[in-house]
Amino acid sequence: MSMDFSEFLRRLGADPGNRDPEFLHARKSDLEFEQAAATAEAFEARLERAADLPAPEGLLDDILKISRDDASVASPVSGWRTRGWRPMALAASILIAVGAAGISWNMNRGWDSVDQYLAEHYHHDGDALIARSGVQAIGDVQALFARFSVEVTPQLAQIISVIKYCPTPDGKGIHMVLNTEEGPVTLIYMPETDVNDHEFLEFGGMKAMLVGLEKGSAAIIGTRSQSISSLYSFVHDSIVLAVNNA
Amino acid sequence: MNTEAGRQARFNQLAEDYGTDLYRYAMWICGNDALAKDLVQETYLRAWKALDKLQDVKAAKSWLITILRREYARTFERKVPKFTDVENVVVADDSELEPDDRTEIRLLRQSIMKLAPKYREPLLLQVVMGHSCKEISEQLGISKSAVMTQLFRAREQLKANVQKDGVTGNVHGLF
Repeated sequence: MSMDFSEFLRRLGADPGNRDPEFLHARKSDLEFEQAAATAEAFEARLERAADLPAPEGLLDDILKISRDDASVASPVSGWRTRGWRPMALAASILIAVGAAGISWNMNRGWDSVDQYLAEHYHHDGDALIARSGVQAIGDVQALFARFSVEVTPQLAQIISVIKYCPTPDGKGIHMVLNTEEGPVTLIYMPETDVNDHEFLEFGGMKAMLVGLEKGSAAIIGTRSQSISSLYSFVHDSIVLAVNNA
Repeated sequence: MNTEAGRQARFNQLAEDYGTDLYRYAMWICGNDALAKDLVQETYLRAWKALDKLQDVKAAKSWLITILRREYARTFERKVPKFTDVENVVVADDSELEPDDRTEIRLLRQSIMKLAPKYREPLLLQVVMGHSCKEISEQLGISKSAVMTQLFRAREQLKANVQKDGVTGNVHGLF
């Protein structure tokens, strides 16, 4: 039994490139079928052209870099990637470069936006702190966060390899370097700053993802070849109101 | 090829074969350039680490899409934000087109973004990733018949949207 026109249109609309013999036979059997198919093909060509978004420059290089950088790692991934082996996590002395607010860098420079703040702040000492990652021991992470009436989960605390107070658009905050399998990732906690949750920013070859928190916000900052969105949930769940403040 | 070099060659082939299409697919489902790039990075990072699990190279495309969709879901397991920069990104490449073509593409792209996810995703799996209805059904975990219905409706909505908007957009003879 031959295919009726409505069934032909249904299949045509679902798959204009349909190569099913029954479909092709029906197409050739009647001028009306053939015209409908030709119209659908013309639309499909336009649809394909519209869907064909330009790929960003350097995309392939960034992907290939993954295997080059990580050639020695062959273990399967399980959940979010952290280096739980770091022994230093709860080490003694708090070596926080707090010279604190002290640092010669001005505390409240009046940034117009979080974007501008992150770009300037990262330019100021982001790379230097990354370089320091793993070199020095850190101490009581919770004590630092307690100042802002928040606490961090042990999972986050144990992968912090550098931590210091830093200026933020709305007062003091915390600048950290996290030790992940993808390499060091910067995390900035801004206790009094509201951000557009999930927003992505790019500056100076880096990218950042903003995270809205129970109190304040955070920015995850990584290189172009690092995946930072995968840290979103982890960070979101790891900086929470301190129990006696919740 | 079980050597490290062979492993790397397999990975490179996956990157060259599917990297660009995966980015396009990611861009269409999330609507944000930086996030799309990040999702692709994460997808390939996980693929690299689990590469030995990929036994059949013919399954590579579906495998990568599965990883990417999972990453996207994981990133936004609480809520999916509405990005507003899609249009800026998706029309940025049109400088060499004729004005009418540009308008037509713009309308189509806007219409694709207006589609409900349940229509948009199978359509993009088919148009961007070249999946068959059967592959889409396996990827999305729904019947082939449901896939065909969604694809049909997706195209019908696209045509209706573009025709409607095309009146003010001065697009003639689009369909």
